[in-house]
Amino acid sequence: MQNKINVLVAETIEKINSAQTQKEITDIKVEVMGKNGALTSFMRNMKDLPNDQKPLVGKFVNEARVKIESVLDAKFKEISEKELKAKLDAEKIDITIDKHDRKMGGIHPINIVRRKVVDFFTSMGFIVADSPEVETDYYNFEALNIPKDHPAREMQDTFYVVPEKIVLRTQTSAGQIRTMEVNKPPIKMINVGRVYRSDDIDATHSPVFHQIEGLVVDEKITMCDLKGILEKFAKAFFGNETNIRFRPSYFPFTEPSVEVDASCPHCKGKGCRVCKGTGWIEILGAGMVNRNVLKVCDIDPDKYTGFAFGVGLDRITSIIYGINDLRLEFENDIRFLKQFN
Amino acid sequence: MKLPLSWLKDYVDIGDISAKELADKLLNIGFEVEEIIELGKDIINVKTGKIISIEKHPNADKLKVCETDMGDYKTIIVTGAPNVAEGDIVPVALNDSYLPGDKHIVSSPLRGVMSNGMFCSGSELAIDNSVIEGAEINGLLILPPETPLGVDIREILGLTETILDVSVTSNRPDCQSIYGLSREIATILNKQVKQPDLSYKTYPAEQAIPSVAIENTDICPLYTGRMIKDIKIERSPKWMRDRLRYMGIRAINNVVDITNYVLMEIGQPLHAFDINLVLGGVQVRSAKENETIVALDGKKYNLTTDMLVIADSQKPVAIAGVMGGEYSGINDDTHTVFLETARFAKGSVRSTSRELGLRSDSSAKYEKGVDFYCVETGRERALALFDKLGAGKVCDAKVDAGVTIPEKKVITTTAQRICDLIGIDIDVKVMTEILTNLGIEVVEKDGVMNCTIPLYREDIDNYTDLAEEVIRYYGYDNITSSFIAFAHPTVGGMSARQKNVENVKDIMVSYGAYEALTYSFITPKQYDLLGYDKDSDMRKCIPILNPLSEELSVMRTQLIGSMLNSVYINLSRRNNNFRLFEIAKAYIPESLPITKLPKENETLSFAFVGDNEDFYQAKETVSAVLNSLGIDYKLERSNKQFLHPGISADIIDNEGEVIGSFGKLHPKTADAFKIEGTVFVGEITLEKYIENEKKIKKFSALPKFQVIDRDIAMVIDEEITIGEIIETIKNAGGSWCDSVELFDVYRGSQIEKGKKSVAFKIYIRCDEKTLVDAEIQEFMSNIINSLTNNYNAQLRS
Repeated sequence: MQNKINVLVAETIEKINSAQTQKEITDIKVEVMGKNGALTSFMRNMKDLPNDQKPLVGKFVNEARVKIESVLDAKFKEISEKELKAKLDAEKIDITIDKHDRKMGGIHPINIVRRKVVDFFTSMGFIVADSPEVETDYYNFEALNIPKDHPAREMQDTFYVVPEKIVLRTQTSAGQIRTMEVNKPPIKMINVGRVYRSDDIDATHSPVFHQIEGLVVDEKITMCDLKGILEKFAKAFFGNETNIRFRPSYFPFTEPSVEVDASCPHCKGKGCRVCKGTGWIEILGAGMVNRNVLKVCDIDPDKYTGFAFGVGLDRITSIIYGINDLRLEFENDIRFLKQFN
Repeated sequence: MKLPLSWLKDYVDIGDISAKELADKLLNIGFEVEEIIELGKDIINVKTGKIISIEKHPNADKLKVCETDMGDYKTIIVTGAPNVAEGDIVPVALNDSYLPGDKHIVSSPLRGVMSNGMFCSGSELAIDNSVIEGAEINGLLILPPETPLGVDIREILGLTETILDVSVTSNRPDCQSIYGLSREIATILNKQVKQPDLSYKTYPAEQAIPSVAIENTDICPLYTGRMIKDIKIERSPKWMRDRLRYMGIRAINNVVDITNYVLMEIGQPLHAFDINLVLGGVQVRSAKENETIVALDGKKYNLTTDMLVIADSQKPVAIAGVMGGEYSGINDDTHTVFLETARFAKGSVRSTSRELGLRSDSSAKYEKGVDFYCVETGRERALALFDKLGAGKVCDAKVDAGVTIPEKKVITTTAQRICDLIGIDIDVKVMTEILTNLGIEVVEKDGVMNCTIPLYREDIDNYTDLAEEVIRYYGYDNITSSFIAFAHPTVGGMSARQKNVENVKDIMVSYGAYEALTYSFITPKQYDLLGYDKDSDMRKCIPILNPLSEELSVMRTQLIGSMLNSVYINLSRRNNNFRLFEIAKAYIPESLPITKLPKENETLSFAFVGDNEDFYQAKETVSAVLNSLGIDYKLERSNKQFLHPGISADIIDNEGEVIGSFGKLHPKTADAFKIEGTVFVGEITLEKYIENEKKIKKFSALPKFQVIDRDIAMVIDEEITIGEIIETIKNAGGSWCDSVELFDVYRGSQIEKGKKSVAFKIYIRCDEKTLVDAEIQEFMSNIINSLTNNYNAQLRS
């Protein structure tokens, strides 16, 4: 009996090993261990054996079952793996093909930088204010301490809508007054948007461009604070090794007024074509808020001081991306727009 | 402002500082040097030589061989010049010399005779008659007979000057002069500025000086007149002519040149009248209606009543501050001059000059501003020059009209206050020294500073101006960085409007569109191209009074025209598949002409371009945008004239307002914009919803019971839209109808003409229980009945 079982086990294992498909394995299983299977018949025939042999044969049969099953399982697994692999292999595609399914678009480079600027200042507690683009003479000039006969008011610089009354804002500084009329110190605000100057269109001039205005008004604000913030700003946008310098300048709405230069990010201040050999590039104008401006907004200039700055967003963007012609900004050639995202 | 260094040296001992170093120092105190001009720097190794003898060239009729005396040696030059003559002194470009235009001259044989250089004409040296008479003749430049030999031609011609072109900010009109800049430079170099020579002898007047009457001292606060007799009109000395040339001013005669010289040196415009022409007295008054004047430029100008003139008893003799009249000008017979030195309001001069389209060096200075100090010093300097040049005899008669020259301003502040504004500690002694050097008298006691401001510093008004003067010279590099150390904390961030705008941009980007930027002003012709009616409200654009061109002349009320222009640009460059969007403002006036600021409506426009675009992709994008703003809307067929009537939709909000439209571009509009290809465009006015804050939504429990689905197919009239059918199914299904999906539309041979076969999957769910078959069947039959009754739909099985 034992011999017979051993033979059956040996034959079955051989069959299993030569099987190729999951079906063959299943068939073998049925053939050997199914209801009418060979091994099953040993069990069934046990009732005809003498009692003393029954446990022994039972043991043999069980051992045989365990053995066959383990081989079966292993083989089954092996074949499934193989079949799965074959199936996956057959499903292989050419991954180098580009289908024209929808791709992400992108934000205009000006606004990529604008978002970074907004993030930078809002993280320091600045609000972002909006103010009209079609603006009154009062907000754009008069309240900013720009006298009636100032050259900036001339038709050659400013687009007028109503003579002496309504203009296209020439600077986001117009928003300073609107903010200070409503908000009282402590004030930290930026105002970003379109501004207009009557400049003919060329590689470095555009009648429509973008400015970022910054304003901080509080007690004990100093020029050192202005320098501190602008230094962080320059490092954030032009690299950590960037330095800034102040040069005296003049704006009617700040006193003292400065032009701010950053060390040239292209040559690291050594002097190159971008910085015209000086090692510095002009990035913005700034200063301490003029007392007259605070007064018009009903803020006590003897109690509060403040600083303001105005950055040309287009200029900053051009420097960061190395764009050499402002006209590209408004042409919207998709090959241009795709470069920045 | 041009600053020739030789002129600067009259007033400041600048030592051996280089032009570049001086430019750097000027930059540090707020004067940017735009250019360092070195005259004659492109003329190298050209010397004066005398033609001793001329011989014919053996091989060429037109050439002459000239022996030339270079002072300490002689050399041979071959020339073809027509005006060559023995004994003439001419410029000689020697071997290895350079001429303007980077022309390199070397010794070389000319038709077999060695020429050791070249004789030069004025044009070869790039000079004209203002440098030296005869420079413009066709031929060699013949130098005066007394010219020394072998000397660098640049010295002879006055081409050795270095000139700084200094940019002066508009708050510093006092620095629009050689002397004004000298004061600043003296301060940076820690030197004393020398006083200009104001001394002259006076002579008794032989006639009464004309009286002066000022109509309005707001416009002309000060007008002074002096008389100079025995005028000798002649050429000014070379040094004066050279200096005027450096400044870009043509020398005319000694009298006119003196006025221009003082204008440049002191910054004071002056005007010289022939006294015979103002004998009856001078009136400074507004022009009368219909008055005209022929100015010195020979042109006739029509004056208006808001223009200031200088007039005799009958008529204007000068346009105040702008230009004199031809009639009263200096002429060869002028014997006595009436010299005007005045202060006119800058706004008045500017507007007159603008209106007449007439500018002069004088008006340019008046527009920047003239102060009381300038009037006095300028006049005295001019009189001193008349005396020095022997141009005439200064008379002792004077006429001064206008306001009393004001007292100097006194500003009281403390050193602490100045330090508090700047943020660093500066010793009060250092401050005092800086201010004193600038001509500000400082009396300091216990930190309190009483500062007396000179009359030429009208820009200094309060302590912050003094702080600027201090830090300008103390050095901005000494400012340290701090980080709003004492400021109160604030809460920052974007407004809901800004967040929504950015969010809509992100949605458009996620739908594959690139952000475009277009100008806010457009041509009104866009409305013709877009097919708007002549009386359409859309045409009510705010016009710009002084546009750059007609193309950029009105503020737009829509963005789609500009978007189509961008589409055109791309297609013309063979960019064929792309999506663009823009969020910008449309400017909607309440009425025209505007009396108040317009509405600035935040507006989205987009264009989807390419053969793989269709209406439904545009619709998907639009719906994503509208949903993100929480807008409750429906779509209706659009009749916008620039959209395809069958493939377009209006977006209507729950108040019944059309807030936007989108669809396929109408072929006529495409033609108008020269667009070829498939284009879907849209524009949505976001303004009404852009301030919406995202609402916080409450959680509701997930459904407990399974959703069941049933398919339904029917043949229905072509006219009936899928939207209507779905609406009907939902209405008939009631609350159990979870959702309806279209999964097939078929038109073809098996279907009757004018009909279509449509199939939907209906999802059914009840919140309270699992539905049994009978309930589902009843549910379905309600729907079927409704479809049959409403649309005569035939169910397909």
